[in-house]
Amino acid sequence: MKLTSPPSRAKSAKSVGGSPKTPIASQSDLFKIFKSCKKKSPKSIIKKEILKLDVIANDWICPATPSKGKKNKFQCDRFIPVRETMGEPSEQLRIPQRESGKEQYLNSNELEYQEKLAEACGVSLEKRILAFNLQPPSSQKDDLRQLYNQPMKLSTIQFKRRILTSPERVLDAPGLLDDYYLNLLDWSIKNMVAIGLDQCVYIWNADTGGVTSLERTNPSDYIASLSWSYNGDYLAVGTSDGDIQIWDVLKEQKIRSMLGHTARVGVITWNKHIISSGCKDGNIWHHDTRVAQHKVAELIDHTSEVYGLKWNSNGDQLASGGNDNRVNIWDARASTPRLTKNNHVAAVKALAWCPWQSHILASGGGSYDRHIHFWNVSSDARVKSIDTGSQVTSIIWSKDFKELLSTHGFPNHNMTIWSYPTLNKTADIPAHESRILHSTISPDNQVVATAASDENLKIWRVFQNARKNEKSKNSDKENTGSVFGGCTIR
Amino acid sequence: MSFETKNIRENISLKGSTKIVVEFFEFALNSILFQRAIYPPEDFKMVKKYGLNVLVTIDDSLKSYLKKLLTQVEVWINAGKISKLILAIMNVENREILERWQFDIQIIDEENKENKGPGGGKKQRTDQEIKNEIQAIIRQITASVTFLPVLEDECTFNILAFTDKDAEVPAEWDDSDPLIIQNPEYVRLRSFSTKNHKVDAIVSYRLGFYDDPKR
Repeated sequence: MKLTSPPSRAKSAKSVGGSPKTPIASQSDLFKIFKSCKKKSPKSIIKKEILKLDVIANDWICPATPSKGKKNKFQCDRFIPVRETMGEPSEQLRIPQRESGKEQYLNSNELEYQEKLAEACGVSLEKRILAFNLQPPSSQKDDLRQLYNQPMKLSTIQFKRRILTSPERVLDAPGLLDDYYLNLLDWSIKNMVAIGLDQCVYIWNADTGGVTSLERTNPSDYIASLSWSYNGDYLAVGTSDGDIQIWDVLKEQKIRSMLGHTARVGVITWNKHIISSGCKDGNIWHHDTRVAQHKVAELIDHTSEVYGLKWNSNGDQLASGGNDNRVNIWDARASTPRLTKNNHVAAVKALAWCPWQSHILASGGGSYDRHIHFWNVSSDARVKSIDTGSQVTSIIWSKDFKELLSTHGFPNHNMTIWSYPTLNKTADIPAHESRILHSTISPDNQVVATAASDENLKIWRVFQNARKNEKSKNSDKENTGSVFGGCTIR
Repeated sequence: MSFETKNIRENISLKGSTKIVVEFFEFALNSILFQRAIYPPEDFKMVKKYGLNVLVTIDDSLKSYLKKLLTQVEVWINAGKISKLILAIMNVENREILERWQFDIQIIDEENKENKGPGGGKKQRTDQEIKNEIQAIIRQITASVTFLPVLEDECTFNILAFTDKDAEVPAEWDDSDPLIIQNPEYVRLRSFSTKNHKVDAIVSYRLGFYDDPKR
């Protein structure tokens, strides 16, 4: 009893002190009783005896006995060797609440209290108290633990899809010009792949495998760029001598020729009935295909050859990139760039607008730069960047998987799939033996075609979407992009 | 000449004593941060020290934080300008102080000792004795988990130093209130002393709602 009592008693005494419910009258009575007891208290020789008695009395009489008197006699316990020096500010704080002469009591004791408190807490008026104002590092690493506690299967199975790393089909593309500054491959919405091989344009029907070529009359130039119209009926072809030709593919004949550029047209792209063309002299022209005076706008800002041009999905903003390492964003009706980005340190050919966030543009730099930058066009900010480790030749977004595919040249000649916005590398495919020059995605967004300077055209089913395939099979058997018939071009 | 050599010897022993004290602080602070779970246990590794297995953080940011802190403390101890070092554990959300680990640093005055006569003056303490005393404190810190209330909410800590008015204060240190706990309970831990310094340790903590179940 005696051994275990001090800590527990201390507690009970405290609780008593803090009880506001105890009626004041009875307490003051007890006080008196207690005081009288205290006066009679015997001398130190039998202190121990009294101590014992006290303990019992405390348990017996009433838990409401204040501990004040006791404190004088019993000054140490197991934990606190010298209680006096420690002080008990809490107790003193409470007493005035019980007394009627509230403020007086507080005032008379305040100084003493302060001193005691200061002593107890080591405050000296002569001293300075300094706090280390650097914030201690945050301890929030529990998140990490939660991360590891998650069942592994969930994360791996859900997020790691299998990507075929071998091409579904390899086509021969002899005579493909090994020129980074051209755009010679495009896949139409009608599932036709057009490729420019030196002086000729070949069209490969991905449904049937049939190959047709466009009969061109003057073979003095070579094909510098080509692009399908949005409905897939017409193919625009830019040539090395600055001509832009529009071909009707079904009839296999040229409809019109839009002259005007003085140098080769390295890139052309459609925006409804408008063709935008980038020329070697750094000019970008808009051509209205419906009118005789086809040139409707001239965008002059690039100081060197332009070979990256992409309209966003709404057709109100055009991104351009060129040999002057610059990325420009143009509003559809403006003739001065809305934004100019000079972050790339090498030529910019790869440009792609994010299909699900219309204000995000990805741009990839050349062999000295090797970065893909992501721009928020509406806020003018660079959102993210990746160092890909090799020349970026083209970028394709996949809407179904929230991913993007980048093709590369020197030194790796690979094809990489990144998740967005985390930018984790989902797959890295050693695609070609030499640099990948062009890439394009099928109309069903599942298959990617790449053409490289090793004169191969490879078809990759990297964004296979089983669910979508089932749906399309059930609804519409003609719409494929999955059946390939023939095998080679030429 | 002899005065100079004596001075140098004193200087050396002061430096040594400071080093012991600062080293003790390093391990004590680490142990408290581990024992009170301010940082997750996987951030700590075990190290043999004072004949004990002491846990020391491996987190680089915390390491550099403590290093920065203790280098300044060392400067103050060397100059004899610091009297207390306090680690206050507080709730992250409402900044309420829950625990206060206080280390009092006293400089042992040689002359005073001599005045006390042969009885008061202690002999040169051996390293082993100091080590044992420190070991006892570290053990007590470890054992304190048993009586200290459980820290349920996420907690962080703050370091206070009580210095003399004329101490040099670098930019990382600001004047502060003493971060006193309302309604505290105290437990005095052991102390240790080197030739020049005596370090006492006290932990005070908030009672919390300790006494409610009793009623």
